Amino acid sequence: MAPPGSTNGDGEQVLVEENLFLRTLILNRPRQLNALSFQMVSKLLELFVAYEDDCNVKLVILKGNGRAFCAGGDVATVVHDINGGDWRLGAKFFWKEFILNYVMATYSKPQVFAMPETALGLFPDVGASYFLSRLPGFFGEYVGLTGARLDGAEMLACGLATHFVPSARLSLLEAALCKLDSGAPATISSILDEYSQQPHLKENSAHHKLAIINRCFSRRTIEEIISTLEREAVNSADNWISATIQSLQKASPTSLKISLRSIREGRLQDVGQCLTREYRMVCHVLQGEVSKDFFEGCRAILLDKDKNPKWEPSRLEQINESMVEQYFSKVDDEEWEDLKLPAKFTFSASSLAKL
Amino acid sequence: MGSPSPADQVSRRAQVLAGHLRGLQTSTEPSLSPSPCLQYSPPELASPPPDFNLSDMRKLMDGHNLQDRDWLFGLMIQSKLFNPRVAGGRVFVSPDYSQSMEQQREMTMKRIHYLLDCGVFQEWLTGRGPEVEMRKFALHEVIGMYDHSLAVKLGVHYFLWGGAIQFFGTKRHHDKWLRDTENYVIKGCFAMTELGHGSNVRGIETVTTYDSKTGEFVINSPCESAQKYWIGGAANHATHTIVFSQLNINGKSEGVHAFIAQIRDTDGNICPNVRVADCGHKIGLNGVDNGRIWFDNVRIPRENLLNSVADVSPDGQYLSAIKDPDQRFAAFLAPLTSGRVTIASSAVYSSKMSLAIAIRYSLTRRAFSLTPNQPEVLLLDYPSHQRRLLPLLAKTYAMSFAANYLKMIYVKRTPESNKTIHVVSSAFKAILTWHNMRTLQECREACGGQGLKTENRIGHMKGEYDVQSTFEGDNNVLMQQVSKALLAEYIAVQKRNRPFKGLGLEHLNKSCPDVPSQLTSSTLRSSQFQTDIFCLRERDLLIRFAAEISQLQAQGLSREYALLQSYQLAEDLGRAFSDRAILQTFLDAEAAVSSGPLKSVLSLLRSMHVLIILEEDASFLRYGYLSPDNAAAIRKEVTILCSELRPHALALVSSFGIPDAFLSPIAFNWIDANSWSSVQP
Repeated sequence: MAPPGSTNGDGEQVLVEENLFLRTLILNRPRQLNALSFQMVSKLLELFVAYEDDCNVKLVILKGNGRAFCAGGDVATVVHDINGGDWRLGAKFFWKEFILNYVMATYSKPQVFAMPETALGLFPDVGASYFLSRLPGFFGEYVGLTGARLDGAEMLACGLATHFVPSARLSLLEAALCKLDSGAPATISSILDEYSQQPHLKENSAHHKLAIINRCFSRRTIEEIISTLEREAVNSADNWISATIQSLQKASPTSLKISLRSIREGRLQDVGQCLTREYRMVCHVLQGEVSKDFFEGCRAILLDKDKNPKWEPSRLEQINESMVEQYFSKVDDEEWEDLKLPAKFTFSASSLAKL
Repeated sequence: MGSPSPADQVSRRAQVLAGHLRGLQTSTEPSLSPSPCLQYSPPELASPPPDFNLSDMRKLMDGHNLQDRDWLFGLMIQSKLFNPRVAGGRVFVSPDYSQSMEQQREMTMKRIHYLLDCGVFQEWLTGRGPEVEMRKFALHEVIGMYDHSLAVKLGVHYFLWGGAIQFFGTKRHHDKWLRDTENYVIKGCFAMTELGHGSNVRGIETVTTYDSKTGEFVINSPCESAQKYWIGGAANHATHTIVFSQLNINGKSEGVHAFIAQIRDTDGNICPNVRVADCGHKIGLNGVDNGRIWFDNVRIPRENLLNSVADVSPDGQYLSAIKDPDQRFAAFLAPLTSGRVTIASSAVYSSKMSLAIAIRYSLTRRAFSLTPNQPEVLLLDYPSHQRRLLPLLAKTYAMSFAANYLKMIYVKRTPESNKTIHVVSSAFKAILTWHNMRTLQECREACGGQGLKTENRIGHMKGEYDVQSTFEGDNNVLMQQVSKALLAEYIAVQKRNRPFKGLGLEHLNKSCPDVPSQLTSSTLRSSQFQTDIFCLRERDLLIRFAAEISQLQAQGLSREYALLQSYQLAEDLGRAFSDRAILQTFLDAEAAVSSGPLKSVLSLLRSMHVLIILEEDASFLRYGYLSPDNAAAIRKEVTILCSELRPHALALVSSFGIPDAFLSPIAFNWIDANSWSSVQP
């Protein structure tokens, strides 16, 4: 793979602006909706680690070039790499990405994430099992299992975002932050307050369904979650319930089982433990011993775009406890090792992420 | 000048404290600098990285249903009903014990309804088989880690009321009550104990007669001492109760039987001819509404006799397949066994909580410098502090294996294993709950003043868990039953001239183990020596006990009176049996682990567990199983084991798998948790 900082046809994939105590990092792969490449992840990691020690840096802003903030990891490339050869290439990408997540989650300096047209807030993009499990009630299970998308108002309502700034005022906010001479969270927060507004939750927002989400998504197993939803559907004409059942029925059964367990374990773990577990899981997914649903999903959604994946195993009852267990075990491979989190961040900033 | 002025003392103290932080460079700083003095440093920094896998160890400790446990922990953390509070930037869940007794009881009921709605109690009574029972045990343990009241209130409803219907009832009772009980359509309680009779259930004074004209039983409390006492659920919530009562048929007493009686209607009004009063405020468990019940000739249908053991025909004939009243009575006590199993394992989890908190605190709290201007010493770096906490940690590991074994033999019970289960559950219930109380007290003291704060849990838990040595069998009475059962076994073997079989007594068939007179470190740590010395003690005490009883009987004393006189040997024997049985469960668990760092640390813990018993139990010196020289060697080895366990202490309590939110502020950043800003609005 390319060394960090090298350029490709798009030029630098991470742009850096320096301004007094402020560093603005701009994800610059607009055509790929700023999906994180290995190169970008490496560069971000390098910058974040350097800024941690640099007393001239008090605030970091992370934003995306173009209309998107970041579409997440560049999964298509990972799949392409693996199809061309070795699952270990994919593992290498996730290793780097997870360490970056960890460093950001436990960062001792304030960061501001700019997500045009969605939300803006002080939140870290860490392992999903960490932040989803910490949403109110069982909203995390709902979002994680159904893949529901949240808009800015919903992110704010459920605590995933801390502030909502309308896109028109983003540049004003950035200018105000540039003038900042302190990294005190209270100061930054008051500036954010000044530019943010209270968005209205849409009438059909899932956030209005918290009571029913809690009733159903708190159940012990995925099978019980679905049967509880089905019981609720009998007494209600609500389209939301049937849509929710449908999205669960369309999802990969293996994914549902391992995701539920991951969220539930994550609820009791710190962010480092969550990332370590997720790294194990992602390696097993890439190895495809129990199920190759990940590749099938990428084929159906990203490559062939037929949106008709054929999951295998195809039914929840075909997946037993030991198949699920496998995803959480160490990978049986000589070169493989568990995610090693940078010791410097392990306790210095406490492994409590700032959510 | 004489003694240093207060100002000098203050400035010296400030220097010392500053020295802890920044070494020598502080001398240039102005003395009134606003920089913080002591900084919290997490326990991980005071411990080497774990050399064994924590989740593998947790699997071994919890033994079963780990995901179900985590699910339930999560259910409690995610609900406002479980009183989440933030301290030092972390969320902790535990009940608000400063609420009034009435408020605590209402909260307990609300929490039960929430867990019910989440499906936690599914299959607790309608399910069958070891898998369902093990899950029920696991979930009940987790509930107890949140609040003992919550666990006890549920235990009364599901294990005592529900268990009585399962075990004493027949199909008609199962069909009518089990599903409704599981879904809390009705709320059950269990009226056995009376003001005048606790452990001696056969002496209870409540009387039930049969009226063949109406086909009803009539239950009556003939005197004040017959009032039912300590009945959990009776004071506020229960709608129904199991009533234990003497059954009088045609003027003949047929002994103790169990009946179902309704005590409240669905609106919560007390039924006619029933009187209920509150037991009042208690030293703990105030979330449980313990009450008293009087029955004034309460009439119940004939079908409400739980008739698996005995029945009364419509025309009033007494019918029982078990003719021997002793055996009939024993059959009635069966549900108490499941209660003892849950109490024993819940005691272990309580010990784990207190040790996790106290050991984490001892790895972050310092006291006294050895030399001026040097950092103060971490509590757990004091050998004396290690000696206070680490042996209790090792014993808790041993007892965790013992509790897992007990649960396992209980769920796989057969008619043949009933006696073993009765003896082992009696012994383990007593030993594990006594160990818990001792651990709580030591951990409380080890946390100093912080241990006294309710939010730090340990001190408060002493009041909450004290009851465990009394309910479902007084510990001392249970231990007497253990030695009595061993004696009966011994006499039977002698009489029938057959080998010992069962209760782990097979070692008595072999020759007496030979314990070396010189005890080296490696001997002391060998499982062979450890097993031998425990077997030697059990064998010798059993023989002594039998000899003393027969000698007293030869002098003309009755067997019962002789047993009373020999209580000292009986107590020693009960301990000897328990220690040997617990060690066996440890060795079995260890044998299932493949070689590696985890097995090594287990063997350290096992040695510590055994050696501390050898050091503390006077019977080894009293009866000469060990010489004073041996005792000195053991004492020395204990201090070495302490220092060897010290680096593992954090990993060992982390392996308990207790979520951070279930520990307490002193287990984490207690400086932040106590900062001025934390009390600002």
